[in-house]
Amino acid sequence: MGESIVTYNAFHHVAWGTTISVYFWLVGASAGSFVISCFGWVFGIKRYKPLTMTASVTAIIMLLLVPFLLTWDLGKPIRFIYLLIPGYWHSTGPMAWGTLLICLYPMSMVVYSYFVLQNNQTFAKVFGIVAIVLALSTHWYTGVVMELNPGRFLNHTALAPLLFLTGAFISGIGLMNVIVWIRNLFRSEENKFDPALIFEMASFMVYGIVFDIFLLFLDFMQTVYGNQNEVMGHTVVLMEIFRFPYLWLTMVIGLFVPLIILVSPLKKTMTGAVTASLLVAVGVYGMRIWWVLGGQYLQSFY
Amino acid sequence: MAIQEPQQKEPRSFGLQTPGTKGVIGKKRYAMVIDLRKCIGCMSCSIACKTEYGLPLGVWRTWVKVMEKGGYPVTKRIFMPRLCNHCDYPVCVRNCPTQATYKHEDGFVLQRYNRCIGCRTCMVACPYNARHLLPEKRTDDKLPRMVVDKCTFCIHRVKKGLVPSCVQACVGGARIFGDLNDPNSEVHKLVSTETVTVLKPELGTSPSVYYVGADWEIMDEPHSYTNRTAQSKAEFNDFKEYHNGDAFADIKEGENLMAEVGKNWVGYLKTIPHKAKETFQAFKIFLFD
Repeated sequence: MGESIVTYNAFHHVAWGTTISVYFWLVGASAGSFVISCFGWVFGIKRYKPLTMTASVTAIIMLLLVPFLLTWDLGKPIRFIYLLIPGYWHSTGPMAWGTLLICLYPMSMVVYSYFVLQNNQTFAKVFGIVAIVLALSTHWYTGVVMELNPGRFLNHTALAPLLFLTGAFISGIGLMNVIVWIRNLFRSEENKFDPALIFEMASFMVYGIVFDIFLLFLDFMQTVYGNQNEVMGHTVVLMEIFRFPYLWLTMVIGLFVPLIILVSPLKKTMTGAVTASLLVAVGVYGMRIWWVLGGQYLQSFY
Repeated sequence: MAIQEPQQKEPRSFGLQTPGTKGVIGKKRYAMVIDLRKCIGCMSCSIACKTEYGLPLGVWRTWVKVMEKGGYPVTKRIFMPRLCNHCDYPVCVRNCPTQATYKHEDGFVLQRYNRCIGCRTCMVACPYNARHLLPEKRTDDKLPRMVVDKCTFCIHRVKKGLVPSCVQACVGGARIFGDLNDPNSEVHKLVSTETVTVLKPELGTSPSVYYVGADWEIMDEPHSYTNRTAQSKAEFNDFKEYHNGDAFADIKEGENLMAEVGKNWVGYLKTIPHKAKETFQAFKIFLFD
């Protein structure tokens, strides 16, 4: 067989860019932070109650950035309203569900925070549960919106929502640890959060990191043993073009280094716990980059 | 192709405005057959389409991919006209959040500019790269901008009894258009008697563009990336350089990836002022006009 070479083709854009990867990270970190906010009021772990408002406000602020990002990412920003009008709403479009979730989730967080401020345990618990379900659903949707594209071989896997949720859990905890640590630096001794919480949350992260590594291993297996496009997606797109966000940022910086820190004696030092938390939060953003941009890369040549 | 009784339940029809009509008695199903044995690569189809719709630079509703095969002196140039496949089970229609793209009962997959919000979900969903976002700057301000556009199989011509513009312009007669469900149509006869193939059949989209005499390598997606000329690679980077913006994740080959990601972010921020201006004008018209 002689050689064959493509001499001319029309090229195509990668339709969803960095904005979408930032949005995925923000929603994930928001959901993760909110889970911590609910530890005290919903799950009854009383020592986390002082953290509630800090975690809740962090989650709300991060989620409030999302509509700005997404609306200005639209070709016709003013038409975002179409996503909420029944005559336009398309029930099978993942983005249609996502819009509802993104609207309902911050509202439920605000209601939950209101009852926390009112010290109303019953309603705080009820709305906390509602908000947690919405938080998880909102982040589940970000995985699904990429998954339900059968033509995008790297994204078309049922592992996507799980990967996104696990990433949300660990990045949310990581971000909260960093925020708590920074807050403690500027507060008097009696107003500081208990530093033991940082160590405890860091130990929660270990389970998430191990599960994330397991999921990424499953994804690796699927691509390496997959069809030609999946193999190409792994060997060329992830291991060559997206090598930095995939291998270094996600795997090494975001998972293995924090894991080593958190299973070593360093986990008992504040520097170790906070460094691991920061690395996890950054590493999860690396995953969002290769998942969004890398998944669309190969097809732009077709 | 045998004409069948209408299928009562088709699981892949969910989310579509009308179920697949391929082979259904009493329904029309427009389709195109491209006989690659007759294609001479003159690109008349691309130009006819560009002219018909006044398409701007950098976007195509139909284009012709070219591949060279063999070694001197036995070489062959192979052409592959590409366009929207007007799938019977289009993923783009299913995933569109506002029903801007929809399936016509005669098989056309169409786009409504007035409903499109420019979220580009359909572009991500389309396995064939058949969709593009119309750029912000057009020669005429009244032309649609920043909404997704695609091939319509020239429905405005077909409804008047004409063939699509690309079919009309094809000098080799390689493009044949008609109702696949009509046993007397040329497309029906060709699909029934010739060895035809479609792009990415494994995805189950049931495309309505059939190819006769297609080479497997030119239809293969990874091959488009691995086997390219140096010039094609340079053209790719030129395309990313001069037709970027609008928040696309355009990553140039050989450049630092994270720097390109950063540029993409800057590109997104740059689009905000003119989008804000447009939004403000729209509010102004809504409130005062």
